Amino acid sequence: SSPQTICIGFGSGDCGGQGLSVSLPLVSEGYVASKPPLFRSLAPHLRAVSLALGTEHALLLTADGTIYTWGRGSHGQLGHGLLSPEEEPRALEALWGVPMSSVAAGGWHSACISAGGDLYVWGWNESGQLGLPSRGLKKDLTRAATGELNASKIFQSSHGVFISIQAFPALLDIPQVSEICKVSCGSRHTAAVTGTGDLYTWGWGEYGQLGQGGTCSSDQAERVDFFSSRGLHVEDVTCGQWNTFAFARPEPSCKRIYT
Amino acid sequence: TKSDVTPPSSRFLKWRMADVWRDVRSLLPAAESDFPLEFGEDVDPGLVAVMARARRRLYVAASPSRDPWARVVLDFSWEKLNAGTWRDVGAEWRRVYAYGCLFEAGGLCRGDPTPARVREAIRACDMGLLMGAPIMGDVLHRLVGVLRKKLDACRPEQAHHTEEPRVKRPKKDSDRMPVISEAKSVRRMRCPSLERFRSEFLDTREPVILEGTTDHWPAFKDHEWSIDYLRTVAGCRTVPVEVGSRYTDEDWSQTLITLNDFIDHYVLGEDGTGTGYLAQHQLFDQVPELKEDIRIPDYCCLGEGAEDDITINAWFGPVGTVSPLHQDPQQNFLAQVVGRKFVRLYSPEESKNLYPHQSELLHNTSQVDVEDPDAERFPDFLKAPYQECVLQPGDVLFIPVKHWHYIRSLDLSFSVSFWWS
Repeated sequence: SSPQTICIGFGSGDCGGQGLSVSLPLVSEGYVASKPPLFRSLAPHLRAVSLALGTEHALLLTADGTIYTWGRGSHGQLGHGLLSPEEEPRALEALWGVPMSSVAAGGWHSACISAGGDLYVWGWNESGQLGLPSRGLKKDLTRAATGELNASKIFQSSHGVFISIQAFPALLDIPQVSEICKVSCGSRHTAAVTGTGDLYTWGWGEYGQLGQGGTCSSDQAERVDFFSSRGLHVEDVTCGQWNTFAFARPEPSCKRIYT
Repeated sequence: TKSDVTPPSSRFLKWRMADVWRDVRSLLPAAESDFPLEFGEDVDPGLVAVMARARRRLYVAASPSRDPWARVVLDFSWEKLNAGTWRDVGAEWRRVYAYGCLFEAGGLCRGDPTPARVREAIRACDMGLLMGAPIMGDVLHRLVGVLRKKLDACRPEQAHHTEEPRVKRPKKDSDRMPVISEAKSVRRMRCPSLERFRSEFLDTREPVILEGTTDHWPAFKDHEWSIDYLRTVAGCRTVPVEVGSRYTDEDWSQTLITLNDFIDHYVLGEDGTGTGYLAQHQLFDQVPELKEDIRIPDYCCLGEGAEDDITINAWFGPVGTVSPLHQDPQQNFLAQVVGRKFVRLYSPEESKNLYPHQSELLHNTSQVDVEDPDAERFPDFLKAPYQECVLQPGDVLFIPVKHWHYIRSLDLSFSVSFWWS
């Protein structure tokens, strides 16, 4: 079918002076749902640098390296040590004194990187998306291995410390990694790029989003060997809900995008 | 001499399981066009398209590999169920989740499913019943019924004669028998009239143990509740179990396991993984056969709500399960069916002496361990007056609204609570 023209305007209902006329090839049964943006001014003292949006919460990074969070907190994703919501941006006191350089938000978890390259995570860990021991994961792994639910193995492996919700930021130490440069969060997984151009992923992997070649989930950060084994230097990563996009460059020449 | 004739018992097994798909199929609309997929506008059209693909799978010849559509529907809607509070979650997403469970269960029953597959399908149905909303005339209930019959028919002879724990558990402090002083005993009454109950106990908010009011329950007579009976009726059903000493502990968690596994590991034996308690679960909605064995106390008619508004919960677990001191926003009839329970009651007037938690999540729960109170942290607790009792099978304890109660099981125990207003 021939491309149809959509008129996208902001602020007013018609395309008048503020409108922007764009030609979009609509696929059959496709649709565009357009609602005008809601405007909300931030408190004047907050000098916003970047904003990350989760399913039900938001993280704001300000110029002095302070993080503010707000929204629903039922899974500890706000990082204030509680499960209650915050209607207004609230400073993350647990990280005061450590200037942050980037923030990321997933379905129900959050991550940030300090100026020094340290990675902090908090929120929901039911699929190991925080890189901390996850109880649910141990059960699923046992189930997959034995083909059906082997109850006795499950009960034995229930020992040890498991974290389902981390309501305060935790420093995530990845063995042999000294600096994290980028982090991105999907619905229930996380991906990070190191200073040496390696990509690490962890969390929910049912749809292959961890890039490890299978559909296993992991509560430990694992390097994605696809890139390192091909001499590819990962420079950036961004996660969709159930997928991951990495930007990598083979030394020394052209750029490619891998999903 | 070797024979290539299959032994009779496994031939029987194969014949039985081959019927499964036929029986499952008969529960579905005859034609795909009679199988509606209608949802509110909050449900992404893209997801409805995926559901249509999953539905198609039930109507065309089985493909050799399992396709992902049912799982996509389940995963997508499960994430929606985890957004917002339980109350807020649109009923539409719970319906979608139930459809996902139906597609998953149906897919597992294609061809010639093994008993293990059928058990997985029952589990899928249970997830839909526990977390989804009713769909297609309660098809998940009917599907469980069909699958359970198939499993029963091919199950080897059960060797479950066990009522006693197989493994001798070391005696814990928590198994101690409490000594009830006469002065603090909860009053007992045998079958009081509705009027007497209302004027002497309901209106005055006085606890009382009603005797003789459950004698007619099938749970005590024709279908006497025993471990074996519960296994027969609901052994393969998946239920939520609380693991850990009490819900105020850091290591407390919930898990979903079959009733058989719960009985094997937490009721009869112990793996050293802590206490397990099938607590505060509307088991009788999930397993209608068990609902037939109990009756709503007549005294509930003195309340305002309709019978449908009464919440009925099952409380089933080994000796030593503890419910910390807490209060509930409704009237409660706690019916004891199997085993004995120790109960301590405090009036809501004593609330300040019971040191409730500050957080919103736990403000209805006391910080004090009733049977081992910390006198330094909670000095006023010891001066608060209380009543206490040991509930026997057949007793029904009336816990007035907001009355603080602490409960410890003294035996393997099964109680049924009725929350009414």
